[in-house]
Amino acid sequence: MNIGAKQSARKARGVFISLLAGSVISFSTGVYAKKIDPNPFPSTYQAREHVDTVVTNVHVLTAQKSGDNREIENGWVALSQGKIVGFGEGEVGPEFKRFNAVHGEGRWLTPGIIDVHSHLGNYAAPGYRGHSDGNESTAPTTAQVWTEHSVWPQDPQFPLALEGGVTSLQILPGSANLIGGRSVVLKNVSSRTVQGMKFPNAPYGLKMACGENPKRVYGSKGRSPATRMGNVAGYREAWIKASEYKEKWDKYEAELAEYNLKGADAQPVKEGVQEKKAPEPPGRNLELDTLKEVLEGKIRIHNHCYRADEMVQMIDVAKEFGYVITSFQHAVEAYKIADILAENNICSAMWADWSRFKLESFDGIEENIALVDKAGACAIVHSDSEISIQRLNQEAAKAMAAGNRMGMALTEADAIEWLTLNAAASLGIDDRTGSIEIGKMADLVLWDGNPFSVYTRTDQVYIDGNLLFDRKAGLRPVTDFELGHRDWVVQ
Amino acid sequence: MLIINAKIVTAGENGIIESGSLLIKGSKISQVSSGKTVGSGPDRISGLKVVDAEGAVITPGLFDSGTILALTEVEGGTRGTDFKADKTDFGAAFKVGMAVNRHSSMIPMVRASGVTSVIVRPSAGSQNIAGQSAILSLAEHANLLNDGNAMFVDLRERSRVFSGGTRAIAMTKLEAALDEAMVYKKNKKAYRSGKLKQLALSELDLIALEPVIDGDKPIAVYVDRAADIEQVIKLLGNYQLILVGAREGWMVKELIAKHAIPVVLNVLDNIPSTFDQLGARLDNAALLASAGVTIAFMTEDIFTETKSLTQAAGVAVANGLPWDSAINAITVNPAEIWGSVVSGKLESGQIADLVMWDGDPLEVTSKPTRVMIHGEWVSLKSRQTLLRDRYADLSDKSSAFGYR
Repeated sequence: MNIGAKQSARKARGVFISLLAGSVISFSTGVYAKKIDPNPFPSTYQAREHVDTVVTNVHVLTAQKSGDNREIENGWVALSQGKIVGFGEGEVGPEFKRFNAVHGEGRWLTPGIIDVHSHLGNYAAPGYRGHSDGNESTAPTTAQVWTEHSVWPQDPQFPLALEGGVTSLQILPGSANLIGGRSVVLKNVSSRTVQGMKFPNAPYGLKMACGENPKRVYGSKGRSPATRMGNVAGYREAWIKASEYKEKWDKYEAELAEYNLKGADAQPVKEGVQEKKAPEPPGRNLELDTLKEVLEGKIRIHNHCYRADEMVQMIDVAKEFGYVITSFQHAVEAYKIADILAENNICSAMWADWSRFKLESFDGIEENIALVDKAGACAIVHSDSEISIQRLNQEAAKAMAAGNRMGMALTEADAIEWLTLNAAASLGIDDRTGSIEIGKMADLVLWDGNPFSVYTRTDQVYIDGNLLFDRKAGLRPVTDFELGHRDWVVQ
Repeated sequence: MLIINAKIVTAGENGIIESGSLLIKGSKISQVSSGKTVGSGPDRISGLKVVDAEGAVITPGLFDSGTILALTEVEGGTRGTDFKADKTDFGAAFKVGMAVNRHSSMIPMVRASGVTSVIVRPSAGSQNIAGQSAILSLAEHANLLNDGNAMFVDLRERSRVFSGGTRAIAMTKLEAALDEAMVYKKNKKAYRSGKLKQLALSELDLIALEPVIDGDKPIAVYVDRAADIEQVIKLLGNYQLILVGAREGWMVKELIAKHAIPVVLNVLDNIPSTFDQLGARLDNAALLASAGVTIAFMTEDIFTETKSLTQAAGVAVANGLPWDSAINAITVNPAEIWGSVVSGKLESGQIADLVMWDGDPLEVTSKPTRVMIHGEWVSLKSRQTLLRDRYADLSDKSSAFGYR
């Protein structure tokens, strides 16, 4: 690509936009747009080679939404080059006979669990101030922060989650702020770098928070927001700024396109007539860049919100500014508005049985998840806990049983979706993982029994076909932190 | 009342009775037997109210060895709580029992999980001697079974702030406090007439420590680090010591077993969240029990991630603890450790606290179908079930939700 002297001069004049390799557009006039790099911290994760494997004689929960293959009692699943390449009932398909066989012996196989709400890495263990990297609680809106810059890949909690069958997880900033910053979706793999854990091409999320936390944090500092009405004013002010910023950029891009179009057909400039100047790009603002991408539908909103009334307020804020809420996080009162959540196509990521740890969680009930599911809304079991992330299967079991006690007919095939496919859908990665379907990532968990039993543990965990945890073989990643004082973690 | 056709987990010498019956008279269990018959024959049944358990499992009422139940309605964000004294001279004399709200709407919620007794304990707020716990029975009119059943001390990393920032001083101060209590006990007259040199503790605290030094009241010490457990045993091994937390207990399990010190565990917390608990692991319970240590389980947090006592027991089983031992850790063991009048066993002569289950009691999918406390079936309704019922059918638009 030829970049002429004029272009270099233009660059030197302070068009401080970074260069995305391969995206430089050159025009005949020499005026070009250097796009803002939308992905300056790209994933470097690459699945390793693994032997072709077929897990046989397993009770498979595929997490498929519908059809005849949601549950296969005597099933098999074949993995090759990181992908699921076959699955079925009974005898293994002939093309997979040569694969290395793992004998399931009646154990259960499910897609890997996906936790949409975790603070592993940004609130790493041990939990001292030096590891407190989850809340940039210095201003109520901090859309400019990206939580991947807080994640410590050596957090010893990652392997604990892996033992619990968690293969992918979304790390979110905390809820101190109205707008807390970008989330990041990770594969739960051992890596020296965060980039080496990043789920390739997963959409970004943006954390927003309702209710008690932001108003407590800032109210106690004597500044807004100190109330829930202050919270809503804060969101709206941020979105007004973001809308104006987006308008400026849209205008600039339109003018640039027009300029370049005319430039291409331009006649040689006459003597003495000044050349029409190329449009100047607006100044870049890291905070508003992220908000603009939300308005463009590129970044997903994951909104921490407990109370039913507040969730409905947030739906109106989103409509006012033309963005979409992908999920409510915690959604302790989702059961009160499950119909509205279904109408608006918003997921709820919930705990099975937490309540009364603060006022806005006073009305938590054990039937919440089941009631949301029953209303036809997207239900997800999340952890927000380094303890619960190790047993999300059991949390789903509690929710399933609570629903059934009130007369629903929920099965394991239903409950597995709350842990896998629905979670993947809310993160925008359900085209690649979250269920057992041909062509999807081979992210799988082999359980030593029914995963919805308290007595069941994981035997094996596969990510992209790689066996990364094997209890019986003593295979488990050991973080740098654990070396020398937690050696027993591998037995 | 006669309960027939039950699988009875006695947590006592009779182990599990596959199909048996329980005769309840007043607040007590009169008889536990296998088969349907009671006493001399079926004729004895006439005049009795008979409940057919239809094969359901019946366990003793469960005992949670560490909560702040009825000391606060909400864990955080309200005007303080009653389990922690932040600005006070009170140490040993602080008894949480006085602040227990036996009408708390939290009690029916916890009761519906099969828990019939809990330890309500203080938290260290201004000194390492945190105060005294109580045993609360979760009957419909909840009542304290034992107010001041144990003295709590916190020697964890987080509490060294109360002793100049080092646990070395915390331990020295604790030793000095017990010495002072002995001096006080032997010289009460001199103390009251002002002839005894000034003591560091208040008289109220000195009085409160007397049963501890006499060995009549357990001293329950929050401690996690193995090295600290060794120190605590050296310091307090001659008293009625209970180790609470003990996340690294497995590292010194032989020592704990040798001194026959009971240990109270939060099974689900296996996070190396401080340098005190780098050794936290899910099979701590199994390792301690296999060394012969008496264990009991606590939820510690009744609001969030470790709120389920049965789940904790089930996870301990999944990680190597025998099922019977897990049941004992939430029934008979805590009753013994904490000195409860409810024995935690289904045996004749014992107070009738029992739970009928819709499945394996340790399963996360199971729930109590009936709960009996002191011989009476108690309601399993709570705010939570009322909320569920109110919002169960959103399609019904016939009335505003406030009228449902």
